[in-house]
Amino acid sequence: MKMPAASLPFPGLRVRLRLSHLAESFMLVFFAVVMGLPVLFLLWSSLNVAAPGKDAVYSLANWIRGFSDPGTLSALWMSFLLSVVRLIPAMILSVMVAWLIARTDMPGGNTLEFLCWFAYFIPDFPLVLAWILLLDPSFGFLNTLAGVLPFVEGPIFNPYSFWGIVWVHTSTNGIWFKVMLLTPVFRRLGASLEEAARVAGASNLTTLRRITLPVLAPMVLAVAALSLIRGLESFNTELLLGLPAGIYVYATRIYDYTRQEPPAFGEATALGSVFLLVLVVLSYFYWRYLRGKRFIVVTGQAYSTMRVKLGKWRYWALGGCLLYFAVMMILPLSFLLIGSFMRRYGFFNIASPFTAAHWQNLLMDPIFLSSLKNSLIIATATALAGIVLYSTVGYLVASRKSRGAELLDLFCWLPWVVPGILMSLGLLWLFLATPLRSVLYGSVWGIALAMTIKDSPVSTQAFKAAFLQLGPDLEEAARVTGASWGYTYRRILLPLVAPIAATVGLLNFGSALTSISTPVLLYSAQSRPLSILLMEYSFTGELERAAALGLLITLIISAMVLAGRRLGLKLTGS
Amino acid sequence: MKTEGREQKAESRKQKAENSKQKLTRSLLPAAYCILLTVAPAWAQSRDWEKEWNETLAAAKREGKVVVAGSPDPVMRNEIIPKFMSRFGVPVEFIAGRSSQIVARVRTERSAGIYSIDIYLSGPDTTANTLYGEKLVDPLKPLLILPEVVDPAKWKTGKPWFVDPEESYVLRPFRSVANLLFINPDHVKPEEMRSSKDLLNPKWKGKISTEDPTTTGAGANLASRFLNQLGEEFLKKLYIEQKPVSTRERRQFTDWLARGTQPICLNCREDDVRPLQKEGFKILEIFELADVAGAVNGSPWLLTLANKAPHPGAARLFANWMMSREGLEIYAKGYGSATLRTDVDESFLNPGNIPRPGANYFDDTDWKWVVKGRKETRSRVWKILKSR
Repeated sequence: MKMPAASLPFPGLRVRLRLSHLAESFMLVFFAVVMGLPVLFLLWSSLNVAAPGKDAVYSLANWIRGFSDPGTLSALWMSFLLSVVRLIPAMILSVMVAWLIARTDMPGGNTLEFLCWFAYFIPDFPLVLAWILLLDPSFGFLNTLAGVLPFVEGPIFNPYSFWGIVWVHTSTNGIWFKVMLLTPVFRRLGASLEEAARVAGASNLTTLRRITLPVLAPMVLAVAALSLIRGLESFNTELLLGLPAGIYVYATRIYDYTRQEPPAFGEATALGSVFLLVLVVLSYFYWRYLRGKRFIVVTGQAYSTMRVKLGKWRYWALGGCLLYFAVMMILPLSFLLIGSFMRRYGFFNIASPFTAAHWQNLLMDPIFLSSLKNSLIIATATALAGIVLYSTVGYLVASRKSRGAELLDLFCWLPWVVPGILMSLGLLWLFLATPLRSVLYGSVWGIALAMTIKDSPVSTQAFKAAFLQLGPDLEEAARVTGASWGYTYRRILLPLVAPIAATVGLLNFGSALTSISTPVLLYSAQSRPLSILLMEYSFTGELERAAALGLLITLIISAMVLAGRRLGLKLTGS
Repeated sequence: MKTEGREQKAESRKQKAENSKQKLTRSLLPAAYCILLTVAPAWAQSRDWEKEWNETLAAAKREGKVVVAGSPDPVMRNEIIPKFMSRFGVPVEFIAGRSSQIVARVRTERSAGIYSIDIYLSGPDTTANTLYGEKLVDPLKPLLILPEVVDPAKWKTGKPWFVDPEESYVLRPFRSVANLLFINPDHVKPEEMRSSKDLLNPKWKGKISTEDPTTTGAGANLASRFLNQLGEEFLKKLYIEQKPVSTRERRQFTDWLARGTQPICLNCREDDVRPLQKEGFKILEIFELADVAGAVNGSPWLLTLANKAPHPGAARLFANWMMSREGLEIYAKGYGSATLRTDVDESFLNPGNIPRPGANYFDDTDWKWVVKGRKETRSRVWKILKSR
């Protein structure tokens, strides 16, 4: 017999199920269109070997050519090696720093967290050049300093090497991104588990290893997976440091195909498919690890966020962190800042080497102000859209145990496993194929949508991990007191994930300001963002002006980080 | 009698005057006719081009803008766009990107029936193999109307130089002598670099920088030229045995050159080196070696008109003005490139960049070389270098 809805013990439950089912279906269709279709288009196009404008001829020729190119496999091996070698120490270090900032009484944690944000958005290119100025075997500042020592013969540092690349990556991308994502999750961990471990006699390190980390596994693993894929796709640092030493990475091969004349997007897509394979393998292991486990740390019961007391070690910990930040961030950043005021970046031996002309020229550039305005609109729209969209997706993926939710989770990884310029091409095709093209193509809204899509992996995984930490009793309690699902979501769940929402919003904001590969095919003169201006400066060798613009972008993001962090903390009532 | 005589004289004078008037008229008529024959068409022509020019200008203003696509370009951004706007009141929208990005964008737009670009300013490979090769451009020649643009006397080539087989689509306004290499004389004396063999001196092992020759770009183009002119053995010795240091970042090898880390640079760009020279760095350009003839190229761009251009009037206006003395002189000054116009001031150019009359240069922008020769040679270069 069918029971009337009114006689169900929890009348809101059916509505909730229907609503979440509806939301899941809608999201699935939306992501299938905006992420699945561009990828399908790229795969389909890679099989078409006919000349542009001619009738399609399908064959595997592009794929065969891509994979039979000498050096492709060795480049792939080099990419894996570099990614794994830099991932393991960076993950250990990131977990330690995030733990120190969020879970211990180490002083200055908030400042260190802010510095991570600041460091993450400093543009790579001038920073790598700063490291070259420091480490170059012929003229590097540190090698010159070391040469003064009596027992040193010849240069001791060489950035143009495997370990040089690992080192510079640790500075540019090493721990900042990971700490940014891990810290809010660590911060949300209730202290009861840790207290129980300590009562049972476990040391701080054992508690971290045996209790804290396993409970935070969804986020830690997601961050590791995100970093591995980003590492595989990285090529800017490798171009500057690897090429002079004959080190080629896989992403460089893909990049080469995309900038051939005419561009060989078929071969690039073929090579890019390896990232899809890596994604499937990682997703499988991730899913297997999480299956059947619970990671709830926030419940409706007593919740304590008391921090671990480090005693005298708190100053040693702070000293270690400061030393790391000083070497990995402050040192190259100082060179970058000085570089933006130099007539020629890194040339101190010319007459009157300093000037403010690059900053003046930047601010006087006729398209600077309009680009700044466009960038701020795009970044704000991306941040807000990212929070709304991915908080819903994260909730669905974390709370619904359905095939649809698993598929949704997989779709959200796609924008990072497809190389940037190819994803941009796929989105361009998609925008032009829809009736909304007059709204999307060439407008700031189209770029904002593309940026929102591009940031889906990190946003989804961050929200998913946050929602996995929430106990079901919170929702149930709200429902019992008569709250609708929408009210519960808005008043109970969202405030609890507010720090993550702030993190995601700010990440998306910063990413929208700095990304080049996504808007490059989508912008028009009316919607040109600052990042395209940055690309122009870099392309034409105006490095000093590029450094000035890069710093300006970083300052804008830092101001937003300060404001956003205050907002995030306020929402949680901390 | 006297009176009669006076009257006769007066009559006679009148007759003479009449005769001379008739004579003058008879003699002037053909001259006047000749003058009329000569002047009238010119006057009419002048009226024609002015009328056409005014109509073009009015159309451009109605269309509201011209959309130009090309590589990121500070001269375009800082000088051309403001100048064109102040001259005609028509804004220029510049879509900047790498050639491959512009091509990807245009192809995808067109497959959706969108035509957003009016003018392309692109390198020879993209222009010949994609824009012209895929029929994305329209004939430009009939649209040139400015007298100073169509006047043969204004061009070193005797006319605006359309380099495509139909001589109508692809306009080349520049022809400069390209640098073969740069040296830092603090480390490499000019007399140490006289012929191609000097590049193979073991002393320079690891001391030569080049743009990566294994991918599309200036590095591969120069390697193709070496293979073409000096053969495979030289190519192997230079690019493999001499262990040149390669990069794709132009700023990086220019800095190496200035510091002397790699004091021989094969692919440094003149516009990157010039600021260093201004700062007092002693950097020398070498345009040719004893056994390597000098080369000319069409840098920085070739001009084409997009077909189905959305702003045809503005595109015509821009193309004509760009080919005028004013337009090209801005570019010539900005890039240090020699134009093909006879009236552009070249005093600011490095004399080495101006082609010597009668000299035999290898033309790196030659149509056949770009369409066929370089592609094939480049493939051979990649095969040789990637098998090392």
